Amino acid sequence: MKRVAITGLGLITPIGAGRKVFWERLLAGTSGIATVASFDSSVFPVHLGAEVKEFDPKQFVRRGKLEEMGRGSQLAIAAARMSIEDSGIEISSYDSGRVGVSMGTTSGEPRLVERYNDVRKAEGLEAIPGDFLPQYPCNVIPSNIAVEFGLHGPCMMIPTACAAGNYAIGYGYDLIRTGRADLMLAGGADAFSRITYQGFSRLGAIAPERCQPFDKNRKGMVPGEGAAVLILEPLEDARARGAKIYAEVLGYGVSCDSHHMTAAHPKGDGAIRAMAMALEGSKKTTADVDYISAHGTGTPTNDRVESIAVRTLFGDRAGKVPMSSIKSMLGHTMGAASAIEAVACSLALDTGVIPPTVNYETPDPECDLDYVPNYARTTNPRVVLNNAYAFGGNNASLCLARYEA
Amino acid sequence: MSSRVVVTGAGVISSIGAGADDFERGLYAGTTGVGPSQLFGEGATTAEVRDFAPQNWLGPKGLRVLDRSARLVCVSSHMALCEAGLSQADAAEGDPGLGLICGTMFGSLHSITSFDWSGLTEGPNLVNPMAFPNTVINSPAGHAAIKHKLRGVNSTICAGLASGLYAMHYAAEFLRFGRAKALLAGGVEELCEESFLGFRKMGAASASGSIRPFAADRDGSVLGDGSALWMLETEDAACARGLRPVLEVGGFGSAHDAHSTSAFDVRADGATSAIRQALAASEIGPEQIACIISGASGSRAGDLMEARALRNVFGDLLGGIPVSAPKAAFGEGLGVSGAFCALAGGLALHRQSAPPTAGYKESEFGLRLSAEAQPFQGKHVLINAFGCDGNNAALVLNLRT
Repeated sequence: MKRVAITGLGLITPIGAGRKVFWERLLAGTSGIATVASFDSSVFPVHLGAEVKEFDPKQFVRRGKLEEMGRGSQLAIAAARMSIEDSGIEISSYDSGRVGVSMGTTSGEPRLVERYNDVRKAEGLEAIPGDFLPQYPCNVIPSNIAVEFGLHGPCMMIPTACAAGNYAIGYGYDLIRTGRADLMLAGGADAFSRITYQGFSRLGAIAPERCQPFDKNRKGMVPGEGAAVLILEPLEDARARGAKIYAEVLGYGVSCDSHHMTAAHPKGDGAIRAMAMALEGSKKTTADVDYISAHGTGTPTNDRVESIAVRTLFGDRAGKVPMSSIKSMLGHTMGAASAIEAVACSLALDTGVIPPTVNYETPDPECDLDYVPNYARTTNPRVVLNNAYAFGGNNASLCLARYEA
Repeated sequence: MSSRVVVTGAGVISSIGAGADDFERGLYAGTTGVGPSQLFGEGATTAEVRDFAPQNWLGPKGLRVLDRSARLVCVSSHMALCEAGLSQADAAEGDPGLGLICGTMFGSLHSITSFDWSGLTEGPNLVNPMAFPNTVINSPAGHAAIKHKLRGVNSTICAGLASGLYAMHYAAEFLRFGRAKALLAGGVEELCEESFLGFRKMGAASASGSIRPFAADRDGSVLGDGSALWMLETEDAACARGLRPVLEVGGFGSAHDAHSTSAFDVRADGATSAIRQALAASEIGPEQIACIISGASGSRAGDLMEARALRNVFGDLLGGIPVSAPKAAFGEGLGVSGAFCALAGGLALHRQSAPPTAGYKESEFGLRLSAEAQPFQGKHVLINAFGCDGNNAALVLNLRT
């Protein structure tokens, strides 16, 4: 098995695009949450959203035709282009059949569904355009990336909802370490949509004023959007080409609660097993973990269960391992979330600084860990876990480590 | 730990039969599931699962919240679990080593469209929140996990028409890595008004309402639906349970055309590469393939592309290898089609007989197709799954002796 390096980071988020801007703003505690702008939210009882602002897809999409793809694909291509540029690789120097794409998402291209229904309502079903269906397949986002960059390798979407980014990065890691691919573009993407908003609103899950993960007064999550793509390659190749290595992927773990479609297992059963499996595959123990990037959506139940899961697995060490939720700033970017968080983990390992949980004011006795309140901290982590949980009872934890030459 | 991954059970529900035995009978009788639609009425033609009564397998409880995809995959997983002897119906708690890898192409399209439509027409604050979980693409797999106590890996895999084969390969890899004990793997696709309408609008639907794979006068496909899953385990694990499985998941190959997300690349580079990779991964040459299960479904460009890929790989050998295009029977199942074809390939190996291509009369490409079953002798079958979305995959199945 080969060792796997992360050598490129590209992302577009509610707090900005590109590795540098993202990291500066994240460490400064910048919030990307604002009143929803892409549709009229006045019909809803809540109005906060974490949208990507000032996105000009023409800057990123060069080969594909913008009018033939949804926003999810546009965001994903933007992240992929930034990641390739960040890595310094020349895609054309690779055997394109050995360069693949593995992406995650919750909803794929939900805005096409909105358009379908808008046309249906205004003009009737026969007015649905012929390009609707071909733009929608759940795998259209990675396919659009493959077309944009001429990549002929394995290409798939793993739409395991809000844990999808971790699944996709994990599978990209599998393809590299087994030698099935020489280079993988792996990550996640999701576009903001009234559908997702309506759903979380009806579940009563959206925070009315701000996102406060792990705070006693937390009132919910904030739907968001974005995309992140990481470049994965064999560590030996990265070293040979003198690449910047942000982090090494050590392993990952996945599990299913098999309990409820939307509610987490009350004792964190699946979350515990995913973390344990990730550590086992990484040949690490809880004693090695220096930082946890929490799923931390800000809903009362999710944050409590995640804290219970970490407490159960880590025992006495639980409170000594800092664990923060960058969703406090980015909102919940759905299928992109764990990929964006994997970028944050990579940068924490590379720079030694861990990002904060902002809006943290009142400790909750049921969430009694160190959530890195409000200010970034220099801790020089060596091994980190990136947690992600999802509808369907899906859990995925990714284990990354600092690369030391 | 053996790296061989074997099949220890199958579950299938399709327009030609429910359950592996029924599916086998329908397939080898040369019948077709293409016919009048119950879902769309008014003279519509599909290869849908008709008279679908999930309560026959699942009982009446808890079905109301499930969409068609979830019901289909809950039924197929029930069948595969039972056949493999791994049903957990009576267990207090599920085995954390048991999971599900489910391929799909359009996933929750109908549930998400209905949820949005409900908001548009009734107002967003009156929408049923219970319908929201069904909008996520992995919801069928999640429902099946709850219903059957599957606590291990639960992944949904989307790779267009190749989704089913991708899912089987993904599952096989997870088993080889020791991340699971036994995995259901395959696919599901539901027919819905959005896919049915969209397929017609994009010009892919057969005007004559029939699937004539590789025929000179083929005029498009007819959509089908259903679910097909295998139970996969390592050979060691299966033998330790006292089983003697004969069907092994062999080499897999995949390639994206990177040409278009809506048109076949008729140069067939990706399809050719996928087949070659699958053979190489199986450490066999083209002369060892005894039967080919084609993904052809009557598409003008798609069938041409597959014929070219086969010619590229097999050359003059091609005239001697029986080919079956079973989509003539169970329709173009999109994300489940690769899994349907894999099950057909497994049956072919068992019976040493290529399934009939329903209604077959002639081929434009000199392929050895037949309306009758074609006996063969051999240990390796090739399954193809190529799509106009650019994804191509091929899988080899091996007979263990």
